[in-house]
Amino acid sequence: MNIAPSVLIVDASRESREVLRLLLERRGAKTLEAERPEDAIRLAREEHPDLIVFDAESDKSGNGDPTNDLREIADGNHTPIVILGKVRQLRSPLSAEQMVAKPYHYGPLIRKINSLLAAA
Amino acid sequence: MPSLFVIQGRDQGTRFQLDGSTVTLGRGTSNGVQLHDTEISREHAEFRKRGQAFVIRDLESSNGTFVNGKQIKEQELASGDQLQLGRTLLLYTGVTEGRVEDLADKINIVTRQEEEDGSRIVHSMHQSEGSEILSLPPDNETSSPWLARARSNLQIMYRTALAVSHTLDIDQLLARIMEMIFEWVDADRGCIMLKEIETGQLVPKVRRHRSGLHSDERITISQTILDYVVEKNEGVLTSNARDDDRWDAAKSILRMGIREAICVPMQGRYDVVGVIYIDTSLTPQRMLQQGSVNKFNQEHLKLMIAIAHQAALAIEDTTYYKQMVQAERLAAIGQTIASLSHHIKNILQGVRGGSYLIEMGIKDHAKAIAADDLDVASAEKAVGIMRKGWGIVEKNQERISTLVMDMLTFSKEREPVPEPSNLNELVGDVVELMKARASEENVELVWLPAPTMPMLMFDPEAMHRAILNVITNAIDACHDRNDGRVEVTTQHSQAEMMARIAVVDNGSGIEPDDLDKIFAVFVSRKGGRGTGLGLPVSQKILEEHNGRIRVESTVDEGSRFTMEFPAIAPQPSASGTMPAVRGSTNIEAVPADSSHG
Repeated sequence: MNIAPSVLIVDASRESREVLRLLLERRGAKTLEAERPEDAIRLAREEHPDLIVFDAESDKSGNGDPTNDLREIADGNHTPIVILGKVRQLRSPLSAEQMVAKPYHYGPLIRKINSLLAAA
Repeated sequence: MPSLFVIQGRDQGTRFQLDGSTVTLGRGTSNGVQLHDTEISREHAEFRKRGQAFVIRDLESSNGTFVNGKQIKEQELASGDQLQLGRTLLLYTGVTEGRVEDLADKINIVTRQEEEDGSRIVHSMHQSEGSEILSLPPDNETSSPWLARARSNLQIMYRTALAVSHTLDIDQLLARIMEMIFEWVDADRGCIMLKEIETGQLVPKVRRHRSGLHSDERITISQTILDYVVEKNEGVLTSNARDDDRWDAAKSILRMGIREAICVPMQGRYDVVGVIYIDTSLTPQRMLQQGSVNKFNQEHLKLMIAIAHQAALAIEDTTYYKQMVQAERLAAIGQTIASLSHHIKNILQGVRGGSYLIEMGIKDHAKAIAADDLDVASAEKAVGIMRKGWGIVEKNQERISTLVMDMLTFSKEREPVPEPSNLNELVGDVVELMKARASEENVELVWLPAPTMPMLMFDPEAMHRAILNVITNAIDACHDRNDGRVEVTTQHSQAEMMARIAVVDNGSGIEPDDLDKIFAVFVSRKGGRGTGLGLPVSQKILEEHNGRIRVESTVDEGSRFTMEFPAIAPQPSASGTMPAVRGSTNIEAVPADSSHG
């Protein structure tokens, strides 16, 4: 890979974002961060990241709309998305490789991210 | 709103509101009332509103729908109806009609002056004398035996009703009923058996002998009689005298005497909950003395059936109440566990993140020094990652500690251990401790101690926790602001004899509707970050100090939390004794938990 891939991290917890940012930077990826899916939608539109890692609990709307909107934009851009935790109000079902159950281990998560970035 | 409450089954403790004109019930997710019971059909039944009431209709379910033990196709429900579907038992509660207001207009309560009808008190009787009206005037006994007997029976029923209305303990209730039966009926032995809910088996609960409660003599009761009573729901009077052809008498009366028994079903509102059995033996001698062979008659049987019915109603109420309490308790425990698990899961996630960073740092570091020439920059970078990981692990360790301490404080019935302490010093310590967190959140933490603060009596450890939780919340409330500011002040009012700690933030504020809820356990407005224990714990601690927490808040402007408690100065008494905070005399200092066994 010549250009560093960019990963958009969407997580309400600053700490979780920091862990993921450090781990991704370590493997040479650029990171973008958003606390909420509403902010992530804007970043996904403007920055076209290569991958989105999305924590389901960052959606505080209660109706799941921001999550679904973000997914639609990601699908439109052909950006793979990894969802951490359970989303209740999904408009379309997730594939197994997009889902990571909580609490997750970082080793397998990083491996999943690596393989998705390699495929992209 | 009408509702269904699950008394038994996998969803025990769940309450469903019947919202809308049609609500379906079943196993499938599309149902308004979804029950996790494999014996319930996907779409089992539906509730349709008819006027104020709901009508339940079975949707051709495989296992049927039962209301109060009877299978139905369609039935209008009344408050208190029990619905059995599969293995699930539900209780229906309808709307309470607002009749009370209407009646207020129709009944006039007049004061003495304006008495219109000129009524006066002719007789008065204390409530407890109500039963005496049924007692026998001595001369009546001869004038009308029928009336005397009727009165006597009425009195028995009155006292039975009284007895069963006063207890929630079934064993106690049964013992009392047995005692009363023995008072009125000349029985030798008796026992009450209740049907076990799970197995339907009759299990003896209370037995009694004329000779006293503790007798080794066994009571033998024929299964045939019990089955007859329960199945036919009829009371029976039996005798082993030879003229009775229903129950075969094997032994000679002359040798054994006659044994007579009464066995009655305890028919409640919904089902037979048990049986009451009494019997008596007449020896040949007594038969001769008495000049008759019968001791029990129809009259006794009728009375026993009536008593058993009263007892059954009381038992049903008690059982239902207990199940209700148990179900509510299970629901509360479930909520507690769910809430704690969620919080612990988040902490675990943090620990995993931190330790994975350390692991990666160690790996990178090893690689950097294993290279032919030491790569200093890479080694330093690796140590940087380790340090960050370590910081995260430590922070989460602190979170676990806070959670455990809050849980302990909340669960323990703990008397505060007051000792002479300096409130300014204590609050200063907490503020110092919170500085790191505040700067992390870009919040300015300002500490303005009162210029004078005498030594006061309070529990410094508990108060530390109470203040810490409130300041933590204030910092968290500023999360969405760039110019977040939390101001902590102390105040000692000599005139009011009060000490106060105020925590003011310019954060998001609290919606007026939420103000009542902030002190409710496990209700957090902070999403994943809050345990819902912080404020309830702080409130508990302040209350233990005879104090309180006051909250003023404006949405988008911020909140002010004021913790206040009576300022009690340490008494300059001899060393070794401690002034009591609540008691009136000085007491020797004893370990706080010495009273617990």
